[in-house]
Amino acid sequence: MKRFSIILFVGIGLLLLGGCSAKSVVDNAPTEAAIEATAQVTAVAEEPILTETDTCVDCHTDKQRLIDTADPVEEEAGEGESEGVG
Amino acid sequence: MAPLEPWEKVMVNEDFMDDVHGQASCTSCHAGDRFAEEKEAAHIGIIGSPDQNAQTTCGNCHNEIVTTAADSLHSSQAGYFKAMYSRSVPENHPALDEAFGNHCASCHTTCGDCHISQPNSVGGGFLDGHMVEKTPPMTRTCTACHGSRVGNEYTGKNEGFPGDVHFRQGRMNCVACHDGESMHDSKGDVDRYDGEQGPSCESCHDTVGKANDEIVQHQIHEDKLSCQTCHSIAYTSCDSCHVAVSETSGKPFFKTSATYMTFFIGRNPRQNDERPYEYVPVRHIPVDPESYAYYGEDLLTNFDLLPTWAYSTPHNIQRNTPQNESCNSCHGNADIFLTADKVRAEELEANKDIIVENVPAPIPGQ
Repeated sequence: MKRFSIILFVGIGLLLLGGCSAKSVVDNAPTEAAIEATAQVTAVAEEPILTETDTCVDCHTDKQRLIDTADPVEEEAGEGESEGVG
Repeated sequence: MAPLEPWEKVMVNEDFMDDVHGQASCTSCHAGDRFAEEKEAAHIGIIGSPDQNAQTTCGNCHNEIVTTAADSLHSSQAGYFKAMYSRSVPENHPALDEAFGNHCASCHTTCGDCHISQPNSVGGGFLDGHMVEKTPPMTRTCTACHGSRVGNEYTGKNEGFPGDVHFRQGRMNCVACHDGESMHDSKGDVDRYDGEQGPSCESCHDTVGKANDEIVQHQIHEDKLSCQTCHSIAYTSCDSCHVAVSETSGKPFFKTSATYMTFFIGRNPRQNDERPYEYVPVRHIPVDPESYAYYGEDLLTNFDLLPTWAYSTPHNIQRNTPQNESCNSCHGNADIFLTADKVRAEELEANKDIIVENVPAPIPGQ
């Protein structure tokens, strides 16, 4: 019985050790393409949320669009009638 | 500074999107439609100045400041109402309120008027692409409104008169004395000369008039003269501002009849514990009984209840001035006191508490 127990323990021990060493060998080294893709994803994630779709920002950071869409300058006739120091 | 081009007024600096104030979507403060492609559609329902309702915008983070700022003089303009109502009677208040709305309310100041944009009086537009300026730039905000008197005095733009020593030599801007706390909280004052002096010269010059003050004149005059009485120079006075609405454009306008340089010492009409001075410089303010005549007849019924020569704190302080050259530059010198002969006959009653009847006698041997 004692011999059986020893054999059993040794057997279980070998089985466990065998399991530990039986890891699969996979080449995890990232390719250059993968690095670039990851960097792009990261960069997008750091952008403020409001740039997702925001025509306000698109227009108000575009000088030419603001020039093209500006309202005509209104003649300040009332101010023009003022005289003296305000 | 030249007015901004129309596009420049509303061009947002891309750095703003990295600023903490740029983290919310535009529409969360300004409403409108951020998905619309066309300007007209995007601007439907837009709120140009969301800080008009500051509690729900700026107040979300700056609640304490917004709460006190609502009652500050920059926001409430209480001083205007006090001046108009004190010269009038309650039944005339609605007409005066209409005049105020047309001509004076534009001076009402919101958070953005100092921290984001320059005032409309200089054409409006962003200070720096919608960036929020913690300390408003002096010439584009403070003196853009307070320009014709305080600004010109302080920066030396009145020809022949130097700017304030705190500006010329100290390079101090407005907020060096008028700090944010005092701008955001008027502590219940109903005009700028109400309550505690803030700022007071003694906040920095704390030995003036004290036992260790080597200038004996400070000890002699400490509570008799305001600092400006000896240390300011000639400043601007104005006459007769009349307001109306243009028949051609429908827009409000004003006409001021005269602007001129003066230096007159008058009696202090507001003597109290905070301003115990017997004499102060006085400035003629541009009011006359017909200032609001466009809005109704005799609206300033009690015109004589307030002076037209008003307590003044000119912002052109100098160490050496004509009046502090010697004792008798003031004593016995009627030219620099507001005596009755310098006041128009129709304003004598209004200024009876200001007019100096007995000029201090000359001091022999001085």
